Amino acid sequence: MQRALFPALFSALVTFLLTCLVIGVKLEQDGPELTVVNADAATWGWIAFAVVAVFLVQLFHQPLSALKQRLPTPHISALLPREQLRSRLTPWLIALVVLGLFIWPFMVSRGSVDLATLALIYVMLGLGLNIVVGFAGLLDLGYVAFYAVGAYTYALLSEYYGLSFWACLPIAGLMAATFGCILGFPVLRLRGDYLAIVTLGFGEIIRILLNNWTDVTGGPNGISGIEKPTLFGLEFSRRAAEGSQTFHEFFGIDYDSSHRVVFLYLVALLLVLFTIYVINRVQRMPIGRAWEALREDEIACRSLGLNPTVIKLSAFTMGASFAGFAGCFFAARQGFISPESFTFIESAIILAIVVLGGMGSQLGVILAAIAMTILPELAREFQEYRMLMFGGVMVLMMLWRPQGLLPMKRPQLELKTS
Amino acid sequence: MSETALYVLQQLINGLTIGSTYALIAIGYTMVYGIIGMINFAHGEVYMIGTYTAFITIIGLVTMGVGSLPIILLLALITAVIISSTYGYAIERVAYRPLRGGPRLIPLITAIGMSIFLQNYIRLAQGSRDLAMPSLISGGISFGDPALFEVSISWMQMIIWSVTLVSMTALALFISRSRLGRACRACAQDLKMTNLLGIDTNRIIALTFVIGAALAAVAGVLLGLYYGTINPYIGFMAGLKAFTAAVLGGIGSIPGAMLGGLILGVTEALTAAFFPSEYKDVVAFSLLVLILLFRPTGLLGKPEVEKV
Amino acid sequence: MKQTFGSFGKTLLAAGSLLAAVSNVQAESLKIGIAGPVTGPVAQYGDMQKIGAMMAIRQINEAGGINGQTLEGIIYDDACDPKQAVAVANRIVNDDIRHVIGHLCSSSTEPASDIYEEEGVLMITAASTSPTITEKGYELIFRTIGLDSLQGSLAAAHIRDHVKPERLAVIHDKQQYGEGLATTVKDLLAADGIEAEMFEGVTPGDKDFSALIAKLKRNNIDFVYYGGYHPELGLILRQSREKGFDVPFMGPEGVVNSDLAAIAGEAMEGVLATAPKSFDQNPENSALTEAFKARNEDPSGPFVFPAYAAIQVMTDAIKATGETDPYALAEYLRANRFDTTIGEIGFDARGDLTESTFMVYRLHADGSKTALSE
Repeated sequence: MQRALFPALFSALVTFLLTCLVIGVKLEQDGPELTVVNADAATWGWIAFAVVAVFLVQLFHQPLSALKQRLPTPHISALLPREQLRSRLTPWLIALVVLGLFIWPFMVSRGSVDLATLALIYVMLGLGLNIVVGFAGLLDLGYVAFYAVGAYTYALLSEYYGLSFWACLPIAGLMAATFGCILGFPVLRLRGDYLAIVTLGFGEIIRILLNNWTDVTGGPNGISGIEKPTLFGLEFSRRAAEGSQTFHEFFGIDYDSSHRVVFLYLVALLLVLFTIYVINRVQRMPIGRAWEALREDEIACRSLGLNPTVIKLSAFTMGASFAGFAGCFFAARQGFISPESFTFIESAIILAIVVLGGMGSQLGVILAAIAMTILPELAREFQEYRMLMFGGVMVLMMLWRPQGLLPMKRPQLELKTS
Repeated sequence: MSETALYVLQQLINGLTIGSTYALIAIGYTMVYGIIGMINFAHGEVYMIGTYTAFITIIGLVTMGVGSLPIILLLALITAVIISSTYGYAIERVAYRPLRGGPRLIPLITAIGMSIFLQNYIRLAQGSRDLAMPSLISGGISFGDPALFEVSISWMQMIIWSVTLVSMTALALFISRSRLGRACRACAQDLKMTNLLGIDTNRIIALTFVIGAALAAVAGVLLGLYYGTINPYIGFMAGLKAFTAAVLGGIGSIPGAMLGGLILGVTEALTAAFFPSEYKDVVAFSLLVLILLFRPTGLLGKPEVEKV
Repeated sequence: MKQTFGSFGKTLLAAGSLLAAVSNVQAESLKIGIAGPVTGPVAQYGDMQKIGAMMAIRQINEAGGINGQTLEGIIYDDACDPKQAVAVANRIVNDDIRHVIGHLCSSSTEPASDIYEEEGVLMITAASTSPTITEKGYELIFRTIGLDSLQGSLAAAHIRDHVKPERLAVIHDKQQYGEGLATTVKDLLAADGIEAEMFEGVTPGDKDFSALIAKLKRNNIDFVYYGGYHPELGLILRQSREKGFDVPFMGPEGVVNSDLAAIAGEAMEGVLATAPKSFDQNPENSALTEAFKARNEDPSGPFVFPAYAAIQVMTDAIKATGETDPYALAEYLRANRFDTTIGEIGFDARGDLTESTFMVYRLHADGSKTALSE
């Protein structure tokens, strides 16, 4: 106990120094006058509480950590049924879940469906980045650039050439993939942190260019009036543009705005299912194995005869194309895009989704994306604290469980003995 | 001197001013990377906290009736350095030390999370609006033919140069002459070996963060006085620019950070001088990308050999 | 223990039923959404809109409500971000609210208005000045504030008639509001024969304008029109003074803010600005101004009175038509004139005000402003 006293006092002092001025004293601007006032009593109460708490925790550091050792760590995998049973049940379970996802929107409020659509967009982005970061181990901090490329491709093609959403979807993916390739080439030789910074730089450059190139991209005004997707030419609006019919007219039912919301949700769901399917297949192909080999040890990879250039490029390109699809859908859903939606923070959020979910683990990424979208809505009273908690959670997750919520399990077969 | 020459001189003066502040912040990045190979994303926020602390101290002292400007500034500097260093130390201790030795991606995520956390922490504590303080040090000297172009250097700019120079010199002397400085250099060369030789590397690493934070605080005080306005978001851009400077000069090299800062500042100023100012930031980022593509070790850095 | 639990349980039940009863009563009120930035860098403008609208709602409720119903203002935060604005618009529709005052930033109002028009929600903005919002032929979108184009033409006319610069510079902040205004002013002046020597953008959030100022000096500029908000203009003014660059500046209403005095200090004296008429100076509004001050709320913000007026016209229309259906209200709004705190106003076919509410002001270092005759 004695030994812990000095560190405890020191930690308490540090805590006090950290908070006393920056939180304890508030700057107030009254017109041209700037003054300082003591923060209110509640804030000082919190400061005192923090100092005392830190002191106590440090003082009783030993017994506390011994206690922590004895706590059972949750093994999520232990909760699931046995392997044999699991392999037989899983296809049925998946089918059930997918069916549920298709039926569900017709039964709940429009707001929930809208939120779910947003979550699906982030799922797509997370899965796409998962290829680059999770599978191939390449840290991409500028992923939002591909998202932007997809969105602007659709917006511009729709505005200047009148192409429909479905026509633009593959084009957006292709454009984003091309940019992925262009980005991939120069960064081939870079390692880890340098790669991260270059991608960050690229992301920012794309955003600034979109903001400055007013003639083409509308600059800071963005592009508005983007067409929504149609169902075989049927529009989901109150009144149809000349030459086309609306959905409700065709089926002879009353106009209900929730039709479009549900339709958008279903489109997003289809895109996500497509994404999951493709990634799953590719993961089992040689290229998927090669990505993982690259992540584990690039030099060993090279010595085994694999070409890291091709592997890195394929990871970037494929990951980028999914961001392109997501961007195209995002533009269609929102009807308006501007460079403000494609900042570095977006990249950070998508990266957080991948890391928190468990790099490489698809299910983990899906769950993390859903959580990341839904939780801020549930805690709407905490709107002010949203970003603070986001940052804090990122730090805490890395400290507590860096492998993510659901660490990746390689697809494997167990040989039955005897 | 011709008009263009005078104009370029003015821009050079502007560039050197902002460049020195980049250099001060860049040193923090470069020292940390040199020792533990990690990019401290949260460093920009430490600079921002230094600025806020300086503002609080200055206004607080003025409100309490302290009249002497040098005393106010000195106390502001000391307080900002102490508080920022504490933050630097605490961040390292809490968020980075437990993750040392693991995969490089994890501390990077933590650093990004820390940066977001600190930005919003200050935003909630002090408000997201710009806070503005009247100029404490104004005026300067000007020369040059008014008919052509009048070059002006403000006292504040000269203060920035001199304080930066003093800080850099102090740091250089510390690193090269003192025992702790030698330990720092040893850790930067080979961390494991230094540990084996009996130096407490944890303390040295903590010291590195503290020094970096202290210099960032100095930059914070200087820029806070120079611009007069602050908000919780200034750390991000300053951090990014300073990081560019560090990479430009060669990450891991302290003279490189100084050089990189000055070069970046001057490049920005000259770009804005002859092209529309909105392309200033593009230049910074493009420079970063180009350097990393063609000379990742920077101007003064040493190529890192990756051992199998 | 059982006893306390019993009485505790009863209290809970009572509280619960009371709550249910109260919320039932609440359901009778007419909800009006107030959408704007509550958080973020321009939160103080969202605040202006909020206090104006809430004051109107409060006063109307005190006078007995509208057609027997009480009004309830629900605040929604879009942080001046288009993405969040879309989410807010969707949420408002989900919450079954069909009357909205908002949004604030033109870049937020733009996408949100698409949703409101589509879903049959009446929207009146008291602050968005971008012309494109009412150029889409929407029925349900109105505004109680002048257009950027009006602000721009007013500024251009003033510059042409009163300032007559020899070497003009037009600077903007590369955002929709600022760049739009700057382009309007530049084009109008060019049509009148005054070419801008410099037309450049700065990055919002940037702090160092020494390069720009040196460039302005070098080009011997004698007048600068700045399109953007107060943080950047304040710094430009301050740094210009330090560098000895002493020329008149002019800006839009986005710079008319007490914070400008804080940032620019003495350098702000003499800066020109176009701004909505100071309705709080109007003697007819003195009672209302006092009401704001009594609540420690600042009535001098440019969006306070327009927001109040927005609620006024909305409730006047409800009272006159006897219903709350947005389409009926929209028709009524277009067809009639209203007596509001911002004067007697009417709406044109597009939903814009039929009269301009902007004036040219000279700003002073203490934060006040004096009106200049046009």
